[in-house]
Amino acid sequence: MPSKTISVRIDGELITAQEGQTVLEVARANGRQIPTLCYLKGLSAVGACRVCVVELAGTDRLLPACTTPMQEGMSIVTGSAKLELYRRLAVELLLVERNHVCSSCVSNGHCELQTLAQDLGITHVRYAYNNPRLPVDMSHPRFVLDHNRCILCTRCIRVCAEVEGAHVWEIGGRGIYSRIVSDLKDDWGNAANCTACGKCVQACPTGALAEKGLAVHEMVKQTEKITRLAAQRTSH
Amino acid sequence: MTSAAPATTHGAAQDTLDAHERLLIDQAIARHANRPGALLGVLEDVQAANAHKFLSMAALRYIAERTGVPPSTVYGATTFYSLFNLDPQGDNVICVCRGTACHTRGSRTLLEKLCFDLGMSEHESGETKETEKLAITTPDNRFTVRTVACFGQCALAPVVEVNHHILSHVNERTLQREVKALTQGRK
Repeated sequence: MPSKTISVRIDGELITAQEGQTVLEVARANGRQIPTLCYLKGLSAVGACRVCVVELAGTDRLLPACTTPMQEGMSIVTGSAKLELYRRLAVELLLVERNHVCSSCVSNGHCELQTLAQDLGITHVRYAYNNPRLPVDMSHPRFVLDHNRCILCTRCIRVCAEVEGAHVWEIGGRGIYSRIVSDLKDDWGNAANCTACGKCVQACPTGALAEKGLAVHEMVKQTEKITRLAAQRTSH
Repeated sequence: MTSAAPATTHGAAQDTLDAHERLLIDQAIARHANRPGALLGVLEDVQAANAHKFLSMAALRYIAERTGVPPSTVYGATTFYSLFNLDPQGDNVICVCRGTACHTRGSRTLLEKLCFDLGMSEHESGETKETEKLAITTPDNRFTVRTVACFGQCALAPVVEVNHHILSHVNERTLQREVKALTQGRK
């Protein structure tokens, strides 16, 4: 694959990268920590969570690192007070939207949202909680869907469509009424297209999708498996 | 994977399509065949052909089956656009604007009064309920009341749309008169 080498700056340091790489890929390859939530290596990037925002010299706008392609001469800042502020804001709004009660969650201790909130030093939120009444879908023989924990990152949608090819999941409704739906909003257990492969469960960053029969703290996600599967798919 | 495969039959509760409805859908699909983004056109045609201007779950399932579009994508598109209805619509559709300009000029009381006059109890003002945007139909299927974010006619606020005609500077009395005319016109 012939790709051009470009030179860019990350946090002031001069770095060579390949054309076509995203800001996130270049930054991570060079040991920079950029938090992500909706990004999962191997799946397409959507730039939905705005947690991976970075500063680009010459513009006031913050850019999502996962979807911004690196270009010759770009100067990126991956960590600053301003970025911290916006990242915290994004996570706080996610926490406010549904019922993220860690103490009663299967993913407690292994949750990307929880870890991120801790890393960003979020001890409380500044906004009123939405406290929506949301259902829990227990109809699937092996898995559970808990809308209360869902952050609509669409990782399950993408893994199902791109890796498994079943395309069971989609977002139904819009705005505050957006929900993950399987097939025609069928109960998950009745979704004819579902192959019960469990990839969506492993890709889910929170406790929204989990295996049945686990208690608090017990659901450990294997996201690296998804990345490996996706890499296998593209290498053939 | 020892557990039994999930049941694929959707029970008798699901309404089914008759041959004529299936034909209409097939025709709509044929009209939009081989066009990118055909789904929206198909959905629009199927809804327009329906007597109650809505898309039944059976229709959506059939569309997904015939077009090869995943059912979840069909459902996602249908629920994303407020143009599409998943429930049967009344003979008369009254649409109350709940945009900012109309709100400040009293569209909430208009809406409440309208719902009250038509005997709809569902709408309680104040708290946002966990329901979709308001769209209620009277049990006799004669009126559907829905809300919209803005008609873009803010200078005429408050605005109410009755069967696709926009009424401007509406007050309770004019709205009541309009509803009465519709009720009597049908008798």
